[in-house]
Amino acid sequence: MLDLIIRNGTIVDGTGMPGYLGDVAVKDGKIVARGSILEPAALEIDAAGKTVSPGFIDPHTHFDAQLLWDGRAKPAIEHGITTIVPGNCSLSLAPLKAKHRMKLVGMFNQIEEMPIKAFEEGVEWNWETFEEFLSRIKKDLTINVAPLVGHSVLRLWVMGDDSMQRTANDEELGRMQELLRECLRNGAIGMSTSFVDMDETLQPVPSRYADQQELHALCEVLGEFNRILQIVHEFYDADITLARIDQLAEISLRHKITTTFSPLFVNVTENDSVNRIMARVDEQFKRGARVWPQVQTRPIDISFCFEVPSLLFIRLPSWYQMMRFGSHDDIKAALKDEAKRKQLVAEAATMSPMWDGLILRQVDSDANQQFVGKTLAEIAATRNTSTIDTMIDLSIEEDLQAHFLALNMGHTDNDIVGSLLANPRVHLGASDGGAHILSFSTYGDTGYLFSQFVRNCKALTVEEAVKKITLDTASIWGMNNRGLLHLGYAADITIFDAEQIDRGEEYYVQDVPGDGSRYVRDSVGIDTVIIGGEIAYRHGEYTESAIGSIIPGA
Amino acid sequence: MATFNETRKSIFPEGQDTWESISQRELPDMGSEEAVGILQSWNLHVFMRPAAAKDSSRAGNPILPSDIIFIAPPQV
Repeated sequence: MLDLIIRNGTIVDGTGMPGYLGDVAVKDGKIVARGSILEPAALEIDAAGKTVSPGFIDPHTHFDAQLLWDGRAKPAIEHGITTIVPGNCSLSLAPLKAKHRMKLVGMFNQIEEMPIKAFEEGVEWNWETFEEFLSRIKKDLTINVAPLVGHSVLRLWVMGDDSMQRTANDEELGRMQELLRECLRNGAIGMSTSFVDMDETLQPVPSRYADQQELHALCEVLGEFNRILQIVHEFYDADITLARIDQLAEISLRHKITTTFSPLFVNVTENDSVNRIMARVDEQFKRGARVWPQVQTRPIDISFCFEVPSLLFIRLPSWYQMMRFGSHDDIKAALKDEAKRKQLVAEAATMSPMWDGLILRQVDSDANQQFVGKTLAEIAATRNTSTIDTMIDLSIEEDLQAHFLALNMGHTDNDIVGSLLANPRVHLGASDGGAHILSFSTYGDTGYLFSQFVRNCKALTVEEAVKKITLDTASIWGMNNRGLLHLGYAADITIFDAEQIDRGEEYYVQDVPGDGSRYVRDSVGIDTVIIGGEIAYRHGEYTESAIGSIIPGA
Repeated sequence: MATFNETRKSIFPEGQDTWESISQRELPDMGSEEAVGILQSWNLHVFMRPAAAKDSSRAGNPILPSDIIFIAPPQV
C-alpha cells in the first residue's frame, strides 16, 4: 500500500512545463507514481482546485540559532518552504570552540540583528565540531537543512584572535583546508564568506582578512567535493560588485565550482547599475563560469526603535554609536542632553526628508495611541515641532519603545524587479530568514513572488515561479533528487491555491527565547506542506510527524 | 582574465600593502602625495571605513587583503 496519494491537483512539477491535472503518490519518503493512480494509500489528500508543486527552497537564511530551539524554523514551513540554507555570509554556528562562543554571538548580534538574550536563554552550548552541531539540531528537525559552513568561523577555529588581524600562514591554511573537508564530509553543502560585514566592535569580520591565496585554497577543497561558494559583497556599489563578479568567475572556472553572491538590489536612483551587473553576469556565464546573483522578491521595509541599533542609522555615526554601544539609560540621557541632542538632530538632518515619511507603528502609552499609523510629518504638524524632534520626543515619552516604520526604502520598482526575477541567470533568494528579526519580517517572500510577480505584474507564470524556487535552486546548490515531482525524488511537496497564495500582514510577536520579539508574517493560500513524505503543515496547523533531513548529509 | 565592456581596473592588495606602496606600483608617473590622494579618492569604500580605536589590537584602518582597490577613476 502507498503511504500517501495527493489526488486531483494541478501538478506543476518544477520543470517549468505547463501544469496538468493528476495524482501524485508517495512511499517511503519518495515520489513513486504520477498520473491516474488506482492503488490505495494509507492517507489521501484531495487537492482539487489546488496546485501541487515541489517544496520551496530558501537558499539564503540565518536560521542557525533558531534551529536549536525550533526545528520547524517557524514560520518558514507555512510559507511552503521545505528546505532552508543557513550559515550564509561567513557565519555558521559550527565548527566553534567554546572559548569563541561569545565572539560569534556578538557577530550574529551585530550583523544579523539577533538578540544576545536569545542566545543566552535559547541555546544550550553542547557542541564544538560541525558534526556535533548537526547531531544537535537533528534531534528536533522538521524542515530540511542544507547548511553552509562560515569562512569566518573556520578562521576563528584555526587562528583564534589572529583571524581578525592578519593573513594565514601555510600551516594555518592547511589546517583550514582540512577543517573544511571535515565539515563537507559531515554534511555541509558549501562555504560562505563575506567581504562587507563588520563585527560587534564595528571592525571587519575574520573572513575579510583572508587573501586571494587563502580563498583559492578553500575553494580548491570545495572543488574536491563539488560544493558551492556563497558571498556577501559590497552590494551598495556597482563597480565593486562587477569586480566581485569577475573574482567569483575566476574562482568558478579555476576550481570548477558554482558561486553565488547576494543580495542584488534594484536601486531606483541607479537603475543602470542592475543592467551593468547583469551584463557582466551574462559575459561570465558565456565563459563557462557559474556566478549566480541572488535577488529577493520583497521591497525593503525597515522597522526600528531607539533601543536596538538599526541598519537605517548605519550612515549616521553618532546615532549608530549611541544605539550600538549605549545602554537604555545612556540612550535616554543622550536624547535629553541639549548639546548631544543638537548634534544628533543636525546629523539626522543630512538624511531629510526621509524622516517625514516614517510611520509611527507601535507605542505603549495611551496618550500616544492617537498617533499610531500616522507619519512623523503629520504628527510633527500637530505638535508644532520638526519630524526629527518628534521622533526623539516620542522615543523619550515611550521609554525607547516607540516603533517606527520606513516603507519602501529600496527594491521597489516592480517592473525591474519582475524582469530580474524572470531572468534565467538570476537566482531567487536573499530572504535572510531568521535574521534582522526586529527590523523586518524575513518570511513570506515565496507568497509575495506569486501575488506580486505572477498575478499582479505577470512577470512570470505559475510554472516559471515554481521552477525558480524549486528545480533552479536545487540545481544551483547541488541538492540531488530535490526540486522536482519526478519518480524517485524526495517527497517534499507544497500544495497551494495559485489564486490566493500571498504573504500576510507583518506583525510583532513575542516568541523568541529571553522574552524577545520579532516581526513575522503568516502565509495565505498554503494548503499543505509535506516534508520527506510526511505532512508537516496542513490547514493552518503544524504536525509532529515530519522529520527533516540534512542535505547533502554525511 | 578576459576583456569585458566597461571594465574599471582594480587590484587586490599584496602582502602588507599601504596606500603609498600601491600608488608607487600602480600610479608610478604621478607624484607620491598626489597619487596617494587620488588612489584614496577612488577607494572611499576602504579609505572612509571606520577606524578601530587606538587602544585596540586592531588600531587604525589598514587596507585588508580582501579589499578591491580601484586603480582607475569611476566611469560614470
